[in-house]
Amino acid sequence: MANSDDTSTATTDPTPDGADFHDREPLIKGNLSFHDVTEIVAKHTEKQTPLAWYLAFTVASSMALMLVLMLAYQVWNGVGVWGNNQPVGWGWPIVNFVFWVGIGHAGTLISAILFLFRQRWRTSINRAAEAMTLFAVMCALIFPTFHVGRVWAIYWTLPIPNQMEMWPQFKSPLLWDVFAVSSYFLVSLVFWYIGLVPDLATLRDRTNKFFRQKVLAFFSLGWTGANRHWRNYEKAYLLLAGLATPLVLSVHSVVSFDFAVSVLPGWHTTIFPPYFVAGAIFSGFAMVVTLMVIARKIYGLENLITIDHLEKMNIIILVTGTIVGFAYITEFFMAWYSGVEYEQYAFLNRAFGPYAWAYWIMMSCNLISPQLFWSKKLRRSIPVMFTLSIVVNIGMWFERFVITITSLHRDFLPSSWGYFEPTWVDILTFVGSFGLFFTLFLLFLRFVPMVAIAEVKGVMPEADPHFYEEGDGRPAGANVPYIQPAEEASDRPETGETRRGTEPTG
Amino acid sequence: MADSVDRNSILGWLVDPLSSTRASAEAAFQFTADRRAWLAPVGIGIALLAISAVGSVLDPKQFFFSYLTGWSFLLTTAVGGLFFLFFQHLTKAAWSVTTRRINEALVWAFPLLALLGIPILFGMHDLYHWTHAELYDPSSPQYDEILAGKRSYLNTPFWAIRMVLYFALWTFISYRLYTLSVRMDVEGPGEAGDGIPAQLRSTSAWGLPLSAVATAFCSYDVLMSTDPHWFSTIFGIYFFSGGILAAVSAIALFALLLQQTGGMLQGAVTAEHYQDLGKFMFGFVVFWAYIAFSQYMLYWYGGIPEEIVWYQHRLEGAWAWHSALLLVMHFIVPFLILLPRFTKRSTPILGVMAVWLIGMHWFDIHWIVRPVMSDAATFHWLDFTTWLGLTGVFGGFVMYRLRRHALVPQQDPYLADSLHFENT
Repeated sequence: MANSDDTSTATTDPTPDGADFHDREPLIKGNLSFHDVTEIVAKHTEKQTPLAWYLAFTVASSMALMLVLMLAYQVWNGVGVWGNNQPVGWGWPIVNFVFWVGIGHAGTLISAILFLFRQRWRTSINRAAEAMTLFAVMCALIFPTFHVGRVWAIYWTLPIPNQMEMWPQFKSPLLWDVFAVSSYFLVSLVFWYIGLVPDLATLRDRTNKFFRQKVLAFFSLGWTGANRHWRNYEKAYLLLAGLATPLVLSVHSVVSFDFAVSVLPGWHTTIFPPYFVAGAIFSGFAMVVTLMVIARKIYGLENLITIDHLEKMNIIILVTGTIVGFAYITEFFMAWYSGVEYEQYAFLNRAFGPYAWAYWIMMSCNLISPQLFWSKKLRRSIPVMFTLSIVVNIGMWFERFVITITSLHRDFLPSSWGYFEPTWVDILTFVGSFGLFFTLFLLFLRFVPMVAIAEVKGVMPEADPHFYEEGDGRPAGANVPYIQPAEEASDRPETGETRRGTEPTG
Repeated sequence: MADSVDRNSILGWLVDPLSSTRASAEAAFQFTADRRAWLAPVGIGIALLAISAVGSVLDPKQFFFSYLTGWSFLLTTAVGGLFFLFFQHLTKAAWSVTTRRINEALVWAFPLLALLGIPILFGMHDLYHWTHAELYDPSSPQYDEILAGKRSYLNTPFWAIRMVLYFALWTFISYRLYTLSVRMDVEGPGEAGDGIPAQLRSTSAWGLPLSAVATAFCSYDVLMSTDPHWFSTIFGIYFFSGGILAAVSAIALFALLLQQTGGMLQGAVTAEHYQDLGKFMFGFVVFWAYIAFSQYMLYWYGGIPEEIVWYQHRLEGAWAWHSALLLVMHFIVPFLILLPRFTKRSTPILGVMAVWLIGMHWFDIHWIVRPVMSDAATFHWLDFTTWLGLTGVFGGFVMYRLRRHALVPQQDPYLADSLHFENT
C-alpha cells in the first residue's frame, strides 16, 4: 500500500525519502534550536525570584517547620504521642515511610532503567524526577529514624565498632533497610550530580556575577565540554545507570521484606518484592505527573515536556497499576487456595472487616482508576491526568495503610483486637513531611536547571552528526546496506554517495 | 481485513496458519536452506518420542513426569516468546525488527502444544495427586481436609476447561500477531492510524494483561498443583521469568543457526542485535534469580511447615545437588559470562550461552516437577527422550514456518532503523 500523498512510489518501500506516516514524532516540539533550549531552562535560575515563588516557599517551609515542631514534640514526649499501640506497633510512621520510599522510585527508574532501555523521552523529565526521588527518600528516612524512640541512638543501626561490642542485628530486615535505602540515596545523588555537571557549566558560562560564577565553577568540576570530558561523562553515566538499576529493584524489595519475612497473615507472601516494586514505580510516576503538569505550565516548558511525554508516563501508570491490582487479586486467591484459615481470615477481614473502607479506597484508586488511561483521549488530557495522579497517590498511601494496619489490628489473640486510630500528631507530622518535600522541591526549581539541557539536546535531530551535511537527521532507508562504522572510512566514496543512498548531497 | 495471504490447509494450520509467502520475500530475506532444515529435527523428534512411547509402557509414571517436564519447558518458552513479542510491539521497538520474525515463528506454537499436551490427560492420576477421588471421601483414611477445601478449583473438569481457555486465548493472540505481521510482508504497513503496526500494537495491549492472568493461573494449574498442598503467590512470575529467558535465548539461537550455518540474514542481524539479545538474556538471568530468591528467602525465613515443605523436598538427598547447581549454573555462571560487552557480541560465546540457558530452563522445570515423583532418583533416560523429542518437533516446525515466509518483517516501518541499528 503506497502512501496516499506519494504517487511516485507504487512499490512499498517502507521508508521513502519523503514524509512518512510511520516516522517517529520529534520529542521536542516548537522547532527549538539548541540555544532556545538553553534559554528556556536556564533563565529560571537566573531571573529575579518571582513573588509567587516566595509565597509558595513560605507556605511549604511553614509546613516543614510544623514537621520539626511535631518531631520535637514526639522526641520530648515519646512515641506514645502517636497512635501506635499494641497490637498495632507499626502505625502511620511505617505507612508514611513506605509511601515516601515508593515515591522515591520514579526518579532513578527514569534516569537509569529507561536509559538502559534507550527511552530517549526520559531526558525531558529525568532531572526533576531524580530531584523528587532524593527529596522523597529524605522524607521517608525521617519516619523510621524517629520511630526508634530514642532518636539520639539512631547511629546504632550502623555497624560501627564500639567498646561495648554491640552490633546491629544482621538478620533483621530493618537493618537491611538501612543499607538498601542509604545506598540507594547515595547512588541516586551521585547519578543526579553527574548528570548536572554539564548543565552547571552552562550556567557558569552564562553568568557575570562573581559569586554565582565561583560557586557554579566549583560544582561544575572544571567542565569545558571537551571531547574527553564527554567521553568520561558518558562512561560514568552508563556505569552508574547499570549500578542504579538493581538498586531501584532492591530498595523496595527490601522494604517489602520488612513485612514479608514475618509470619503474619497478609504480610508473609512471596509476591511482595516484585509487587512492592511495581507499586513504588506506580506511585512515583504519579507524583512525577503531578509535579510536571504544574511545573511545565508555570515555567513554560510545554515544548520540552510535551503531552507525548506525559502520555508515556500515564501508560507506565496504567501498566504498573494493573500489575499491582493483579497482585491484590493473586494474594486474595492464594489465601483461599492455601487452605490456611488465618490467611483466609486476614484477607476477608481486609475486604469486609472494620477497615473495608480503606481496602476499597485502595482497590478503586489503584486498580480501577488507572484503567481510564486505556483511552488515548483521557491519557492525553491534562485535567484528567492531574486528577488521576493525585488519586493514585491517595490509593498508594491507603495500600500501605491497609497492609500495615489490617494485618496488625486483629492478631492471634482476639482479646487484644481493637480499632487503630491516628492521633493529631500523626496527622500533622505526615502533613509536615509534605512541607519538607515541597520546600526542597521549590529550592530545586529555583536554583538548579530543572530539565537536563545537555541531554535534551542530545535527542534533538540536530544532534545527529550528519544533520547539516546530509539531510534531516533521520536514519537511512532500508535500501541502504548497513556499514560497520569501522569499515566505513575506507569503503566510502569521496563524493556523490552518502549513507542515505546514491543521491547527491545538498 | 483484505486476505492477501491465503489460509493453510486444515492440518497445516496447526503448524502455520498461512500459506507460503516465500515467493514475495525479498532475496536478502529468503530462507535458502532446503527442507531438511525442518524435516531433520521433526524426524529426530518423532523418533525420540517413539522411543519414549516404549518407555511409557515400561514405566508409565516416569513417562508422564518426564513428558510433563518437556512439555512445560516448551509451553513456558512459547509463553515467554509471546510476552517478548508484546513488549516489542508496545514499545515500538525498532532494534528488534530484524529478529522479530523468529520471535513470531516461535510464538505460533500453541495449537501444536495443545495437541502435544493430550498425553498428559492420560497421566493426570499419576501427575496430580488432587485427582484422587478418595481424598474427598470423609469416610476414607486418605481424606484430606485441605484438598477438599480446594476441590472447587482443583478438579479435573474445571482444570480442563481452564486449559482450553488459556490455549484458546494464546492461540487467538498469537494468530493475530503472526498473521498480521506476515500479511504486512505482502500488503505493506498501511496508514499510521489503523494500519497493521497499529493493529499489532492494540492486540499486544489487550493481549498483555489477559495473557498475564492466563500465565499466572496456568502456572498454578500445570506445575504448582503437582504438589497440591503447596502455594506461592510469586509462582506465576517465576514461571514467566524462566520462560522469557528461554525464549530470548531461543531467538538468539535461531538467528545464529540461520546466519552461521545457513548463511542467511547476512547484514540484517549484526553484532549489535546479538548484543541486545545478550543484554536481555543477561537481564532475565538476573530477573529469574531475583524472583527465585524472593520466593526461597521468604519461605526459608518464615519457616512455616506447609510452606517450606516444597523446598525441603528439593534440598534433601540427590535433589540438594540439583538445587545447588541451579544457583550456580542458572545464575552465577551466566551472570558472569554475559556481563562483559564482548561476550554478547561474540557469536560463538552467545551461541553457547543460548544453548546453555535453554538447557538450564529445562533443568529448572525438571527441578520443579520431578521431586514430586520421588525423593531419590534424579535423571531418567525418559527425561531426555521426551524433552529432546518434543523440542525436536517444536523447533523443527519453527524452522518450517521460517522457511515459508520472509525471514524478517520486510515491510515493517522500522525495518530501516533496525538494519542500521547501533548500540551507542
